[in-house]
Amino acid sequence: MKQENIRNFSIIAHIDHGKSTIADRILELTGAVSKREIKEQMLDSMDIERERGITIKLNAVQLKYHYKNEDYILNLIDTPGHVDFSYEVSRSLAACEGAILVVDAAQGVEAQTLANLYLAMENDLKIIPVINKIDLPNADVDRVKKELIDNLGFEDDEIILCSGKAGIGIQELVEAVIDRIPNPKVESNDLQALIFDSYFDAYRGIVIILRVFNGSIKVGDKIKMHATGAVYDVVSVGVHNPKECIKDKLVSGEVGFITASIKSISDVKVGDTIVKENSLMAPLPGYQPMKPMVFCGLYPIESSKFPALREALDKLKLNDASLEFEPETSEALGFGFRCGFLGLLHMEIIQERIEREFDIDLIATSPSVIYKIELTDGSSIYIDSPSKMPERQRISKIYEPYIKTNIFVPSDYIGAIMKLCQDKRGNYKSLEYIDLKRVNIHYEIPLSEIVYDFFDRLKSTTKGYASFDYDLIGYKESKLVKMDILLNGKVVDALSLIVHKDFAYNRGKSIVEALRKLIPRQQFEIPIQAVIGSKAIARTDIKAVRKNVLAKCYGGDVSRKRKLLEAQKEGKKRMKMVGNVEVPQEAFLAVLSMEE
Amino acid sequence: MNSIKSAYIHIPFCNSICSYCDFCKIYYNSDIVSNYLNALEKEIKLKYNYEKLNTIYIGGGTPSSLNIKELEKLFKIIDILNKEDNCEITFECNIDSIDLEKLEFLYKRGVNRLSIGIESFNSEIIKYLNRKHTKEEAIKKIKLAKKVGFKNINVDLMYAIPIEDKYILKDDLNYIISMDVEHISTYSLIIEPHTVLYNKKVNYIDEEIDFEMYKLICDTLKENNYIHYEISNFAKDGYEAKHNLVYWNNMNYYGFGVGASGYINNVRYDNTRSINKYINGNYVLNEDILDFNTIVENEFILGLRKLNGINLFEFEKKYNFKATDIPIVQTLIKEKKINIKNGYLYICSNFIYQENSILLEFLDINYEIVKNSN
Repeated sequence: MKQENIRNFSIIAHIDHGKSTIADRILELTGAVSKREIKEQMLDSMDIERERGITIKLNAVQLKYHYKNEDYILNLIDTPGHVDFSYEVSRSLAACEGAILVVDAAQGVEAQTLANLYLAMENDLKIIPVINKIDLPNADVDRVKKELIDNLGFEDDEIILCSGKAGIGIQELVEAVIDRIPNPKVESNDLQALIFDSYFDAYRGIVIILRVFNGSIKVGDKIKMHATGAVYDVVSVGVHNPKECIKDKLVSGEVGFITASIKSISDVKVGDTIVKENSLMAPLPGYQPMKPMVFCGLYPIESSKFPALREALDKLKLNDASLEFEPETSEALGFGFRCGFLGLLHMEIIQERIEREFDIDLIATSPSVIYKIELTDGSSIYIDSPSKMPERQRISKIYEPYIKTNIFVPSDYIGAIMKLCQDKRGNYKSLEYIDLKRVNIHYEIPLSEIVYDFFDRLKSTTKGYASFDYDLIGYKESKLVKMDILLNGKVVDALSLIVHKDFAYNRGKSIVEALRKLIPRQQFEIPIQAVIGSKAIARTDIKAVRKNVLAKCYGGDVSRKRKLLEAQKEGKKRMKMVGNVEVPQEAFLAVLSMEE
Repeated sequence: MNSIKSAYIHIPFCNSICSYCDFCKIYYNSDIVSNYLNALEKEIKLKYNYEKLNTIYIGGGTPSSLNIKELEKLFKIIDILNKEDNCEITFECNIDSIDLEKLEFLYKRGVNRLSIGIESFNSEIIKYLNRKHTKEEAIKKIKLAKKVGFKNINVDLMYAIPIEDKYILKDDLNYIISMDVEHISTYSLIIEPHTVLYNKKVNYIDEEIDFEMYKLICDTLKENNYIHYEISNFAKDGYEAKHNLVYWNNMNYYGFGVGASGYINNVRYDNTRSINKYINGNYVLNEDILDFNTIVENEFILGLRKLNGINLFEFEKKYNFKATDIPIVQTLIKEKKINIKNGYLYICSNFIYQENSILLEFLDINYEIVKNSN
């Protein structure tokens, strides 16, 4: 295959704008899968992805297309849409020369449309703007077109109108990919390949997904990981189309996978460059791995599962370089890990994957951001957990990370958004009109407030019309204090949190109230207190259990009664003993539950 | 082989459906009754091995919804069963479907225990439960039953109903006491799936109030010479329900009729809940063969419902090991949650209303090992 006939591209979009459906149609059109084989969202291979309707892990497929008497190879690299995963977007974009930007014909430009577009522009990609879902009754193609032209600077005639569902405009789109996106450039014959994903296969070891920029790679080659220096013999080479398809070699410009009997997870770093063993080639620019912003403790409910949890995290990190973890001990929860995530969704997904794919029941502690603390001796430290907070006498100033928002919302909701942002300690910055009816609102808000229920409240106050994205803008000084929660008179370290002084009272009240509802009654009364230093600011009691009995039990009821008891017993097993109190998993996230 | 001394017979027909009821029941229909009784006769003849029975319990549904002719047919079927001389024969009825004629008939045909579902004397609550009597009618019918000759009457009382308070309950207790019946069953309302209350998404009453109501019942009935002998049951001395004790003593019994359950040898079986299947002779829905551990667990689940508890001598005779050899028994005794007195193992009265938390400790124990290690 000639270099000139290869195209590497991604599809980027705001969540739910139909990226995966368009990908499905392209697969269908190019004959990669027959109509019969198509399940909704072919490229979303994880159960969680299909259930939640989002793409988390990127996938690469090779497609063939005959156009103007030439055979073309198109490598489609799918990307996640959610803001938490923009790191993965930038990974896939690094392997491309162009991108299709999908915008919903009814929703128009949204927060992540912009965020993803900027990422693509940073990577110097050729962008093909697409308006999708044009066949829907509420589509407003003219308005969205105007947004693309006025706000994003596209030309009228480069915008392609599509419907993924109805299959409209797909052929035009594929041909635009060939016509407009440049073919890969080759600068050298020495191998340089970018690792942009990897996963663990029980039989073959680590499978590396890569983009060959220069040279070629084939079975038997001795290759070196640039960053780690590890050397391996290539065992197999291939592409996904989307089924796995073994090939002799991958040449410059191509996207595919290799295996090399790699068992050591730490040898493979996503973003690293693969070269020949004795090569002097420099690494490719790659991209900066994103730093985790949200941290929480993950603990196995059964302490014997600690090694299994470590293994699970190791395996997940393999294709999720942004996941960070280090061992941590909690008095209440035993041995676990302090884990860093890109955002809340990322955190949820990782927890869910550990529970499902590795069958480990977890307790997650409430999320925290990284605080910067200036000590009285003039030095400063960063902490990612309330438990690492120094004593109060040693603290001179506390700083917390702030973000700047892009909130895209119909102008009717300006008031509601402002109220929400102010509740979240936000400072108003500016407001831009995108068109007559939609605005982009900029606030500066502490990241820790976003970590709580910001998304949920944003969605509920705007009936789902708002879209949201943010940029980290650095640290600002804040009046923060550490709040402890006492259960039956004992501090539960896993429940401590850092709060703003002015909000402490309300937060304390809502947390003890939430805990009262979440912790079942037990044989004795349990006081719950929220304290700052030695001062109690909120208190409530869980009354002792009064009634736990089946009033009626006659001839036919025994089996039913047994089932009831067995369910109770099962529930008990899923609780964690904290001192002499049985605490259910959800209670450790009680800090997230805020009063409306 | 355990000898079978008891039989339960289910009559699924009702004239109205109570809002809390999840038993197997259908609206009364004379054609179906006739077919049903034929099927019942067949089932009994098929399964019954002519043991002499100590207790027979005719429950429902509402057995008293049958008319005299149908009752005659029913009792002809019951005649198939051999009875000891002092066999306890209980018949369930409700206030609105009994009259002098039916009561006299039942008395004549050997029924010696009536179980009358009153549930409440409060008109609001009666309405809430979708029952069809009035306070006055209830008082009148019970007097009538006594006059006919019944000397062992049970009355059901329900409490912890969402619209109820302690004063209503107190009134109900006073009425029941004034009627001087031999046995009282009191049930805290359970909102079961597939009931009207469940579908209306009714919530339980506050746990504290429920507990206070329970205490009020226990105290009041005790003051009036009723013995609290099972979590929800009270009786004058000598009037404990023999049939129900068969259940709580984990003994064998036949279950005849649609939706009935039985326990024979090591098998617990449930009959189909489908009246059509039953009439067509497909009686049994499922059978569970119990292993040793399950049988012993059931012994605790059932036996500890009785306030005087499990007879340790009988326990050892049945299972060939001592209950006191079970480590958790010793632990719970130390924690003062259970106790042993006069050869009985029982739950301490202050824990009886939290019975489940104690029963949990008896699950997942390998009793086989306990048995073999001694």
